[in-house]
Amino acid sequence: MLLPKFDFHEPTTVAEACQIIAEYREKAGILAGGTDLLVAMKKKQISPQHLVSIGRIDELRKLDSSSGMLKIGACFTVADTAASEVIGKKWGALRAGARALGSPQIRNLATIGGNLVSASSAADLPGSLISYGARVVLTSTSKTRVVPLDQFFLGSRRTEIGYDEILTEIQIDEPPPYSGAGYISLGIRASQDIKIVNVASFITLDSSGKTIRNARIVLGCVGPTHLRAASAEKLLIGEGPSEAVFAKAAEAAIRDSAPRGARYSRASAGYKRAMVGELTRRTLGIAWKEALE
Amino acid sequence: MKKIIRLTVNNEEHQLAVEPNQTLLDMLRDQLGLTGAKKGCEMGECGACTVIMDGITVNSCLVLAMQANGKRITTIEGLETEQGLHPIQKAFIEKGAIQCGFCTSGMILSAKVLLDKNPKPTEEEIRSALSGNLCRCTGYQKIVEAVQSVSEDDVGPARQES
Ligand code: FES
Ligand code: FES
Repeated sequence: MLLPKFDFHEPTTVAEACQIIAEYREKAGILAGGTDLLVAMKKKQISPQHLVSIGRIDELRKLDSSSGMLKIGACFTVADTAASEVIGKKWGALRAGARALGSPQIRNLATIGGNLVSASSAADLPGSLISYGARVVLTSTSKTRVVPLDQFFLGSRRTEIGYDEILTEIQIDEPPPYSGAGYISLGIRASQDIKIVNVASFITLDSSGKTIRNARIVLGCVGPTHLRAASAEKLLIGEGPSEAVFAKAAEAAIRDSAPRGARYSRASAGYKRAMVGELTRRTLGIAWKEALE
Repeated sequence: MKKIIRLTVNNEEHQLAVEPNQTLLDMLRDQLGLTGAKKGCEMGECGACTVIMDGITVNSCLVLAMQANGKRITTIEGLETEQGLHPIQKAFIEKGAIQCGFCTSGMILSAKVLLDKNPKPTEEEIRSALSGNLCRCTGYQKIVEAVQSVSEDDVGPARQES
């Protein structure tokens, strides 16, 4: 299966990369890990005339948690995300997502930035990142802007990113004390699978552990983008954490979701709804346990 | 337009002129004649094209030759030494882990990276390390047994010296 022809650019700095895409605009494609982009090009879904590889830009591969905030370079790989101790310790739901993604070979190539820019609601990293309140940094020759991740996705395969912008960094604040998060994605097989439903839940308790102060629940594969389960979140805030409350939140999350049926998707709408409920309940349980640790 | 890249394949340095849209897989097979890496799906799904690049496994159908510039690549052809086949290769033969053989090079390279890092993996760790390599023939059981037998044999460098 041949790749369409293109000119290849391999800048070594972000500034240089921005200049190249500012020049070619919609004719340019940005190559990070290539696990989505090259497949789409082989299928002739897209054929950029200029491919700008950002894989050799060192500043995009870093992981920095020195400022109380986690800053992840866009080209940090999914395998490194899954293996990172810092991420595992404070952002366990992100690690769970990274571990669930693709296969070992895919995780070695795929990047965290690429998983976001691909803008698929079946992707494994956006859910937990949104639940942690992550932001993305978009850089162009003229400006840098920071966009909350839950405003970044505009639709299936559509994002806030302009033709002249590169997603350079993901920022996540350290979760407040008594917080926890869980992520589960359900596929037909354990590996190399596009997911049927994925759910990320994040909660913050008060210092007594008796009241939920904040909750964010993010549902994947049940709409064109990841969705916040707004009524489930509202229901949880102010309540005491318990299996019974989580079961009610799960019911609310089912109502918040809008899956399409099997004609368009990998599972029937009814099955997806049921799984939204179950995964919401389970991820809230994981989040609760982590919040008490 | 072709560009010149330099890379090390199986400990040999090469300088090659490659097209931008040429994959590492095509370069290995067509320009270097290393046909051990197989062309299966070409979409990153089957793992038949697995090679080791700078110590990690990748699907060479999803890597541009130009992205491999400056890298160290190991293909299945690089595993055999003067002493003969690599212990994992021997184990695959002995345990009947090869039927048609199409998945074998990828399987063995994935197993090698696992055993280099973790010489005594559990069955679950083996299955997860091989989860990006599909096999249509064996049902995986014998492949897992072959990898297990190598880890039990203790072929680590410490043993080899003694
Ligand atoms: S040929 Fe590369 S993964 Fe199938
Ligand atoms: S032996 Fe035939 S595909 Fe594995």
